[in-house]
Amino acid sequence: MAIADVDDMYFHYPRASLGAGDEGWTLCNISLAVHAGTTLGIVGESGSGKSTLIRVMCGLLHHQRGTVRFDGRDVGDFRGEDSKELRRKNQIVFQNPRRSLDPRMTIRRSLSEPTRALRGRKPDDDELIVSLEKVGLGREVLPRFPHQLSGGQLQRVGIARSLSVDPTILYADEPVSALDVSVQAQVLNLLMDLRDELGLTLVMVSHDLGVVSRMCEEIIVMRNGRIVEEGRTDVVLTRPESSYTTALLAAARAASL
Amino acid sequence: MLEIRDLRVHIDGHEIIHIDELDLPAGTRLGLVGESGSGKTMTATAIAGLLPNEAKASGTVRFDGQDLLELNDAEFSKIRGKRIGFVFQDPARALNPMMRIGRQVSESIRLHTNLTGRAVTDKVLELLDQVQLPDPAALVRRYPHQLSGGQQQRVLIAAAIATDPDLLIADEPTTALDVTVQEEILQLLISLSEERNMSVLFVSHDLGVIRFVCDRVAVIYGGHVVETGCVEHVISDPRHRYTTALLAANPGMPKTDDFASFMGQRLQTIPGHVPAVGKFPGGCRFRNRCEHASASCAEPPMPVTLGDGHRYSCWHPDEES
Amino acid sequence: MPDTPIPTITADTIDDDTAIPAPPASVWRHIARVPITLYLGGALVSSFVFVALLSFVWTPYPPNHLNMSNRLEPPGTPGFLLGTDRAGRDVITELMLGARNSLYVSVVSTVVAMIIGTSIGLAIAGSNRYFQGPLTRLVDTGLALPGILTALVLAAKLGPGNTTATLAIIAWQIPVAARVTIGPARQVLALDFVEAAYGYGRRRSYILVRHVLRNISPLLIVLGSVMFAAAILIEAALAFLGVGVQPPTSSWGRFLSETQSLLEAAPFLMFFPGLAIVLTVLGFNLLGDGLRTVLDPQQARTGSS
Repeated sequence: MAIADVDDMYFHYPRASLGAGDEGWTLCNISLAVHAGTTLGIVGESGSGKSTLIRVMCGLLHHQRGTVRFDGRDVGDFRGEDSKELRRKNQIVFQNPRRSLDPRMTIRRSLSEPTRALRGRKPDDDELIVSLEKVGLGREVLPRFPHQLSGGQLQRVGIARSLSVDPTILYADEPVSALDVSVQAQVLNLLMDLRDELGLTLVMVSHDLGVVSRMCEEIIVMRNGRIVEEGRTDVVLTRPESSYTTALLAAARAASL
Repeated sequence: MLEIRDLRVHIDGHEIIHIDELDLPAGTRLGLVGESGSGKTMTATAIAGLLPNEAKASGTVRFDGQDLLELNDAEFSKIRGKRIGFVFQDPARALNPMMRIGRQVSESIRLHTNLTGRAVTDKVLELLDQVQLPDPAALVRRYPHQLSGGQQQRVLIAAAIATDPDLLIADEPTTALDVTVQEEILQLLISLSEERNMSVLFVSHDLGVIRFVCDRVAVIYGGHVVETGCVEHVISDPRHRYTTALLAANPGMPKTDDFASFMGQRLQTIPGHVPAVGKFPGGCRFRNRCEHASASCAEPPMPVTLGDGHRYSCWHPDEES
Repeated sequence: MPDTPIPTITADTIDDDTAIPAPPASVWRHIARVPITLYLGGALVSSFVFVALLSFVWTPYPPNHLNMSNRLEPPGTPGFLLGTDRAGRDVITELMLGARNSLYVSVVSTVVAMIIGTSIGLAIAGSNRYFQGPLTRLVDTGLALPGILTALVLAAKLGPGNTTATLAIIAWQIPVAARVTIGPARQVLALDFVEAAYGYGRRRSYILVRHVLRNISPLLIVLGSVMFAAAILIEAALAFLGVGVQPPTSSWGRFLSETQSLLEAAPFLMFFPGLAIVLTVLGFNLLGDGLRTVLDPQQARTGSS
C-alpha cells in the first residue's frame, strides 16, 4: 500500500520565469509511490530537484500541476485541523543540524516545539528524555543551546525532534552530509535502528550512492528535475539502464573505498 | 621536495600538532587524512606559513633544501606565491565575486613573474586551457557566479599553478562538488601533477578520494601522524586502530556482486568523539576511544616501520589484513 | 535491539567546553561575568532617570524661579553650583527639569516608533514575495520625507509643544525602524530552522515573533540606542525651532538652543545641557551594548565566543 504517491507532478518556484517546454520548472513529470515500511533513496546531483521534491511531497511547497497524495488523499485537501495531521505524519530531518535548530532556543524548547504546535500540549521533561534516549542522548543536553553541542549531537536532536510526534514518513534531506565520517556512521546506524524499531517509512535524499546502497531498498535517480531511473536499489545500481546512472556510479566508485 | 622533521605547533600553551617525520618527494602526491579537529588543516597551514599569530611553530620544514620556518614573513611570501600553490574547499568563496575571471587568474602572475601586458593575457589563456576549460577567451571576461562549481574550481587550480609551483597544497578541493565533477577535478590534479612533476599535498577527510588521487597517505589524529605509507598498503593492511576504525566507518560502495550483504549492514562506529584542543589524553592520543587500549598506551607509542615506508605508532596494532 | 551499542553521550564524555559551567561559586563571580558596558550604561541611564524623577519632588530652586539680579552667574557662584542662565534660573534646577522632559519625549517616541516600525518591518519581511518590493519602496518613501517638515506641519495643526514633538519624532523614526528590520528579518526567514518550524506546523505569525524577532533582537537593541540618540537630538532641534516644548517648560534642547546666542556673554553655559545630552546618549548606547551581550546565549553561557 502506497502511503504517499505522486502522479505527473510539475513544480516551479514562485518567481521562476517559465519558458518554452520545461524551462523554468524545477520538477517535471514526477511520478512515484512510497510504500509503507520501506526506505526510499533519492539520489541526484545539485540542481536535480531532489530536495525540492521531498518538500512538495510533505506539503511544504505547493505544486502547480499533477497530483500529490498522502494516505490516498490529495495533499491540498488537508485543511484546518487536518493540515496539522498532515504535518505531523510527514516530518523532515535537515542537512545541517546547526542551521536547523534556532540558536536562541534551548534544546528542551526546540524538542518540544513540534508537540506544542501539532498536539497542542507542552511535553514534560520525562517525555523529552524518552525521545532523547531513543537517539542516544542524555538529559543533560536539555538546558543547553545548540552552540554547546557537537554536530553529531545536534543531528540526533534534530532526529529526536522529528520523531517526537510519531510521524508516518520521515524525510531525511542529506542527513549525514555535514558530518564527519565516524559521526556519519553513528547517525546512519541510528537511522537504521530507529527505522527497524519504529517501523518507519524513510525517504532519504542523498548525493552519496554508498550511503543509499546501505540504507535504501528502493531508489530514484534524478537529473535536472526529472526522474531518470527508479526501482530496487540492487537492480538499478548493478544493471543501470540510464547512461546517467552509469556515469554516476562510475564516478562514485572511483572515489570510494 | 618537502621534508618535515619534528614539527610542533603550539597555541595557548597547548601543543596541537606534533609531526615527527613526514616526507613528500618531488612529483608525488601525499594525502593528509583526518576528521574535523584532527589537525590536518592546521598542518597544511603550518607548512604554508599561514598560521594565525597566536600559533607558534617549531621544528624543520625543509622545502627543496630550505627550512621554511627559518624564513621571515617577506621571504616566505615570495616563496609561497611562486613555488607553492593553494587550492581551497569552497571555490565560490575563494573567488572575488566582483572581479572578472581573467583578472583573478592574472593577479598571481603579475605578482610573481616579470611578465606584463600581452604576455600575461596569453599566459592566462594558456592556463585556462590546461585546466580543460572550454573557450578560455570568452571565459576570461566572465564573473564567478556565471560559472558552475566545477568550472570555478578549475579556475582556482589555474591560478594556483600559474607560477609553475613545485608544491600544490589542496585542502578538501572537491568536497563542495558533485561526484561526477569531483572525478574530473581529481583527474585533472593527477595529470597536472604528473605533467609538471609537481608535488601535491592533498588534505581530505575522505579516504576514498585520497586513494584515488594520492600515492601515499598520512593518517592524522590529534595532531599526530598515527600511520603513514603507500595508500594501497595502508588501506589494505591498516595497523593503527584509528586507521582501522576510519576504514570501518566509511560507508564505501558495494561491489557489483555484493549488494545483498551491503544493505542494512551497520557501520562500525568509534566510541566517544574527537576531543577539543588541549583535551586529548597523554601518550597515545587515541587511547580514550580505543577498545584495545591498555595501561601501556599512556606512554607515547614508538613508531614501527614495515616495508616500503609503511610506518605506524601503536602499542596494539591491528595485525589482520 | 540494535546490535552495536549506540554510544550514549553522558556527562563524562562531553567536553568541558560543551558543559554548562557550574553556577558561580560566589556572587562576585556572577557579577564579574556581566559585561562592564552594562554596568556603566546602566549607571548612567539610571542616574538620569533618578534625576528626572527626583525633579518632581525636589529641585535646588523652585521651577522657574527667576532671579534677575543673578543673571548669567558663572559656575561656582555661592548658591548656584553650576551658574545661572539668562533669566537667573539655576542651571542645576533647569537641568533636572529638562531631564524629565527630554527623557520623556525621547523614550516615549523611541519605544513607540520601534514597536510600530519593527512590526511593520516584520510584516513586510514575512509577506508574499510579490508585495515585498512595493511595500519596501513605500517604507523608503517614508524615509525620504523630511522629518522637520512633518514636525512643522504638525505644529501648525496641533500647536507647538511636547506632544507635537513626540508625534513628529515618532513619524520620523517609524520608517527607520521598519527599513532596518526588513533586511535581517528576511535573512532569518531564509534559515533552515524557520523551514523546520513550518514543517512542524507553526504559522507565519508565530515564526515572525518567536523565531525572527528573537534572532534579530541584538540588532534591534542597537537600533534602539541609535534611535534614542537621534530622538534627543531631534527634540533639541525642534525646541530650537520653536516647534517643540515651549517655555516655561524646560528642556535640554531648548536650554541648549538658548545658549547659542549667549556664547560671548556666558560661554560656559552651553557646556551643561550639551554634556547632559552626551552622557545620556552614551548611557543608552552602553546599556544597549551590554544588554546585547548579556542576552546572547552564545556569549552569556560560555563567556567567550
